[in-house]
Amino acid sequence: MTMPPGLRKVVLTSHVATSVGWLGAVFAYLALDITAVTSKDVPTVRGAYAAMEVTVVYAIVPLALASVLIGIVNALGTPWGLFRHYWVLVKFLLTVFAATVLLIEAQTVSHLAETAASSADPRELPGTLLHSIGGLVVLLITLILSVFKPRGVTRYGWRKQDEQRRNERAGRTEPVR
Amino acid sequence: MADSPPPAPPKAPRWVKVSAIIVGVLILLVVIAKLTGLGGDHGPGRHTGASGALPTSEALSGGNSSEYALEGGR
Repeated sequence: MTMPPGLRKVVLTSHVATSVGWLGAVFAYLALDITAVTSKDVPTVRGAYAAMEVTVVYAIVPLALASVLIGIVNALGTPWGLFRHYWVLVKFLLTVFAATVLLIEAQTVSHLAETAASSADPRELPGTLLHSIGGLVVLLITLILSVFKPRGVTRYGWRKQDEQRRNERAGRTEPVR
Repeated sequence: MADSPPPAPPKAPRWVKVSAIIVGVLILLVVIAKLTGLGGDHGPGRHTGASGALPTSEALSGGNSSEYALEGGR
C-alpha cells in the first residue's frame, strides 16, 4: 500500500523531526549524565539527575516511540517497504532495540533521580554513561544508514520485485480486445 | 514458449555480512562478560540493589551521619 505523495511528505517530515529530536535529546541527556558523574558539587549532581529524569520521561521516550511508529508507517507506505531492503531492515531492528533498552533504562533513571534527591551525597551514584553513549552510537548508525542507503535487497524484497516485473510484463503482452 | 527459469536471489551484500559479524562478536563479548562476572551486574538492579528496591534515604545518608553509606548506620 503506497501513500499519496502529499501524505508521504507529511509522514516523512514527522519521521525526520522525531528521529532528529530523539538524537538531540540524547545529546542533551549525555551532557547531564557526564555532569552527574564528574561534578564534585552535590547540588549540581542532584540537579543533573533530576534533569536526566525529566529529559528521559518527557523528551527521549515520547520521541523514541513516535520515531519508531512513524518510521514503520513511513516504510510500509512507500515502495521501500519494511523488509525489502537491508538498510531499512537493519535500521528498524536497531531502533526497536534502542527503544526497548531505553524503556528499561527509563526506570533506572527514575530510581537514580529519586535516590539522588534523598541521599546526602549523590556523587557516589554510578550514572548511566555506558547506556547513553551506546544509545548515541546506535542512533548515529541509523542516521548514517538513512542518508547513505547502502545497496542490498533481501530475499523477500527480491521476490516482490520479481512479482512486480512479471505483472508488468503480463500487462504489456496482454492482447488488446 | 516456456518461461525462462527465475534467476537466483541475490546474496547479502558485504556490509550486511560485516555488520552481522560485528554484532555476533559484541553479543559473544557480552555473554562472556556476564558468565565470567567481568562486566559486573547489569540491568536496573545494578543501580538499585539486587532486589530492585531503592535504598531508603536514611540508609543512604547513614542515619544521622552525613556520610553516604548504602548499608546505613555507619
